Amino acid sequence: MYPDISSGAATGGRFDTTRWSLILSSLESNSPDGKAGEALAQLCRIYWRPIFAFICGKGYSIPDAQDITQDFFVMVLRNDLFQSADRSRGRFRALLLAALQNFLIDTHDRAHARKRGGDQKFVSWDEWMAEAPSQLAISADSLGAWTPEKIFDVRWAATVAENALRRLQEECESHGRRRVFDIVSGLLSADRGDVHFETLARQLGIDIVAARRLLRRMRQRYRELLRAEVAATVREPGDVDDELRYLVSILAVESEQTGVGSA
Amino acid sequence: MQFSGLSDSIATLLGAPEECPHCRATSRVAHGLCLSCLLQNGLSEEEPGDADGFAATLKSVEVADTNWRLGHYEILEEIGRGGMGVIYRARQRHSRRIVALKRVLSYHADSRETLARFRREAEAAASLDHPHILPIYEVGESEDGVPYFSMKLAPGGSLQEVGPALRDDPREVVRLLAKITRAVQYAHSQGILHRDLKPGNILLDGSGEPLVTDFGLAKWLDTASDLTRTLTIFGTPGYIAPEQAQGVAANIKPAADVYSLGAILFDLLAGQPPFLGEHALAVIRQATEKPAPKLRSLVKGADRDLETICARCLEREPATRYRSAGDLADDLERWLEGRPIIARPVSPPVHAWRWVRRNPVLAGSIGVCLLLAATASLRQLQSRRLTAELQQNQLLMHSVGVLPFLDLDTARADDGLTKAMADLFQAKLSALGPARVVAVPAGNWWPGTTSAEDLGDANRQVQTRAMLTGSSRMTRNGRRISLRLMNPASGETLFTKLIETVPGPTGIAESARQTLPAIQKLLDSREWAALSFSARDPGMTNPGAREFIVSGREFMFRDSEENLDRSIRCLEKAIQLEPRSAIAHAYLASTIGGRDHFAPDPRELERAEAEAKEALRLAPELPDAHRALAGVLYQRGNLPGALEEQLRAIEAGGPEEHVASFVAMTVLKLGRPERALGWLEMAQHWAARPGDYDALIGDCWTQLSDDQKAERAYQRSIDLRPDFSEGWVGLCHLRLLQRDFGAARALYQQNRVRSNLRTASENAADEITVQVEFFARNFPEAKRLYETLREKNSGSSSYYGAVTYGSALGRIAQLLGDEPAGRMLLAEARRGELKELRPNDPATLYRRAAIESSLGELTTALDHFQQAVGAGWLDGRSPRLDPRFDALVADDRFQRLLSELESEVAARKERVVTAKPITPENTHDLKEAQVTR
Repeated sequence: MYPDISSGAATGGRFDTTRWSLILSSLESNSPDGKAGEALAQLCRIYWRPIFAFICGKGYSIPDAQDITQDFFVMVLRNDLFQSADRSRGRFRALLLAALQNFLIDTHDRAHARKRGGDQKFVSWDEWMAEAPSQLAISADSLGAWTPEKIFDVRWAATVAENALRRLQEECESHGRRRVFDIVSGLLSADRGDVHFETLARQLGIDIVAARRLLRRMRQRYRELLRAEVAATVREPGDVDDELRYLVSILAVESEQTGVGSA
Repeated sequence: MQFSGLSDSIATLLGAPEECPHCRATSRVAHGLCLSCLLQNGLSEEEPGDADGFAATLKSVEVADTNWRLGHYEILEEIGRGGMGVIYRARQRHSRRIVALKRVLSYHADSRETLARFRREAEAAASLDHPHILPIYEVGESEDGVPYFSMKLAPGGSLQEVGPALRDDPREVVRLLAKITRAVQYAHSQGILHRDLKPGNILLDGSGEPLVTDFGLAKWLDTASDLTRTLTIFGTPGYIAPEQAQGVAANIKPAADVYSLGAILFDLLAGQPPFLGEHALAVIRQATEKPAPKLRSLVKGADRDLETICARCLEREPATRYRSAGDLADDLERWLEGRPIIARPVSPPVHAWRWVRRNPVLAGSIGVCLLLAATASLRQLQSRRLTAELQQNQLLMHSVGVLPFLDLDTARADDGLTKAMADLFQAKLSALGPARVVAVPAGNWWPGTTSAEDLGDANRQVQTRAMLTGSSRMTRNGRRISLRLMNPASGETLFTKLIETVPGPTGIAESARQTLPAIQKLLDSREWAALSFSARDPGMTNPGAREFIVSGREFMFRDSEENLDRSIRCLEKAIQLEPRSAIAHAYLASTIGGRDHFAPDPRELERAEAEAKEALRLAPELPDAHRALAGVLYQRGNLPGALEEQLRAIEAGGPEEHVASFVAMTVLKLGRPERALGWLEMAQHWAARPGDYDALIGDCWTQLSDDQKAERAYQRSIDLRPDFSEGWVGLCHLRLLQRDFGAARALYQQNRVRSNLRTASENAADEITVQVEFFARNFPEAKRLYETLREKNSGSSSYYGAVTYGSALGRIAQLLGDEPAGRMLLAEARRGELKELRPNDPATLYRRAAIESSLGELTTALDHFQQAVGAGWLDGRSPRLDPRFDALVADDRFQRLLSELESEVAARKERVVTAKPITPENTHDLKEAQVTR
């Protein structure tokens, strides 16, 4: 089990450890309660972008993709998700993608109905975009070769990593160490050998030993937050490693030709 | 396009990321971090990093954000944070002033558009200057390009914290809310919506006075934790208007803020917002689906008026809320002063024009009279206070924006006049001192507008203290120009003047000369007192009479016989107490006119006309009086007179949707579809819903024989308002005129059953159905249908007023071989027409011609048909199909008349296409104005 990493009021307590298992157990007891519904809404709010990217990847125009994403979430939040997809799959990501694929099958009709003015919007798109901007950068060359499924997975991986990064920043800020985050976080993915600790120490006005410790601690903390992020989307804590391995595998260069689908 | 959704900005896509030296993957996230390596880190075997350990490490590094600098501010401490923003207590370095400093968390600020948008909105909010708006001191940018802004630090907490302490003190609640609402009204006048008003956004200063924060910025800086937990992030559930929850940000109107103000009032009085739910979506769903609970259902013994005020704000339909924050503030202040409030329980407004359109006999419907009376008067009744501080600067004081003048002959902008006025006033005012007069560049406003929103919009472009607009039209004697000077901060008309002059530049110069002294005087004065008609009306200053007027008006809107009688009694009492009240006389005229629909009585209509004229005698420029008289004259069949009064109402008070549609209906009935089109375009501009006027537009094009345009308009009506029958009925009529009986039949068979309509529209649907059968010469079926119709609405006439049931049944009897019975029915129909008191009504004359033709009186028939054409009858296609005209169709003279009519229609159509101003010789319909006073 991972500790509750929410930092109180700063994150509004929005970060329960295993949201997905909460949702699943609520479903299995056949009495979905409000808490599970809210947990699902939270997950959707975090992971809307892979869905949108997948739909775009399927060739829909941006406005259509926006509409379909909205519709999809309306469906998910009505709990229809679980009628249309196989519950036994343990991962939120896999289930969401399967549900989305099913959903798109009859989307042509839905898009048609929408033009006739039937649908409701639950979220304002601009606001959604502004809420969680992404800085994912991908080489345009490799992008052309990717299947929508791969786009979905890459986007998912980025969402997980960026979300954990956000939390790390929030923690630093809540301790009055935003500047520390700004300076040190850029080194999170660097190999230790590549880090110039003297510069880092000078920038921070601390000694080299302290700088080393700081980077190590920040990496550790980031790892914790990342795992917690993943844990919220899998059934068992033990599934975290598998899910992370999967996400790493789809980013690996060798797999780019294979167009990896969902796990 | 397939990249879309992967990244927010193109920049991140174009900069092709380098391969990671460790894993060769190419996907990067913020700070250039390798995505793959970040995730790999998650699989490392190192010891875990718990929050406390990390916190301890962080704290051991003495690089605190304290004394951290942002621009020229020293950050002292963090005092709040939300989903996207953070608030610090900070000190401005040079002045040592302590401020609150807000900025967007930088990870939200990664795209240039986002930053630019934030900055723009912060700058707009910083331009607000109002005693109850928390001042923004500065909008700046930190070294890393993240914008921030500094503002007053309010020490008294927010309404969210002090709210519970106020629950037992409704007066204090209302006092605070009135001030808050005035602040919101002011921001609206500057074109800025708040979008997230809630107790947490109302701070209190050291002496407990309210300060509204975060105008238009809430979405950047939301500090409510309950908000960040769900999908809904565009406002605060519980306080957000339902249309805002559902819609696109761009469509949000001031009414959304009015809703939130109502929700705050409700919350402060009841201890909870109107809707509660498990989570945000549930709250919003409730607000969308259910009416707000009554205040008194939660707080027994709450004040009834406060309940009404809350309910009015919390209407689900934006159009039925208070028209503006100003109106709400007025009511709150009235309540504080112990005066009666204006809000009333809302009854669904009658779609007046629809009824009138299909009910020529009941023309000038109650809805039209009452709606017209209401729209202007609601505005006039309010004595708005001037809130904006007056500018000290002479140049600013003497600055005037000139909005497009309205050409009443074409319903379009008179650009020449607008420019001439701007030039003339610039020259004349600068001769007296520093002055700036600018023509407002084209915008989304309709010429002649007096709408507060338009004025606010225009004012943001030109930044002037006053706005000038008006209208012009040709009359028998020359040219009539109206000028209106308005205060864009309050939307109030400061000055109106009508000038009868000569056409051409001389006339324009003359009108400027005549109005200059008054305008100069207004611009010289620092205080603009309330000058509205209602403020000056003796009935509104006499407390006793005022109560009866307000109460009488209340009843006017509840359109039942009983309530109209109540309204009449109230207004009569008001007049007893204050016979000089023009408003009371005008309302009384409208109410009597409305009452007449339930029990027609020519003497009552005479009385209504006398009341309206009395109102005009007392206040010749009162728009309500002109509207009331227009309604009565329309009802009495005096269309030219009604038109004249409608135009005068516009000259006195500016155009708006209802008066524009009323003018359109009147000129259409006068056989001027080419003129009606411009007015319909205007009505459409202001219409709350698209599609409301398309069927009428289709009727215009049908009359002008432009079937393509007619079809397009009807189709729009069918698509946009599938809930009303006007569209398909119009299209069905068009098919009938095209002799395509099969298509016409198919249309009514498809739609008749489906439509679930109000009586008036249902009649129209029935009538087009039977007319198709009658013209298709399917006589037995037509006979059956006409008989059913006659049974159902005895005395009513038929589609477009052209075929009365009796005359059709008479002709059918003749054609089915029963000549005596037919003649009897036709003679009866003729007697009915003779009773009509409308000698110049084209429809009456046409119906008479049809009857005479059926009776074999060819000369009389021809004569009446000619008269109908002279009065404006344009439909040459119906008589060729109408079995009642069988006898005439063979007549050469009739054929000649019809072909003349065709070329007239073609000429009219040309006039629409070129949108030429209608010249004096085309205004003959005005010459018959029979208004004497």
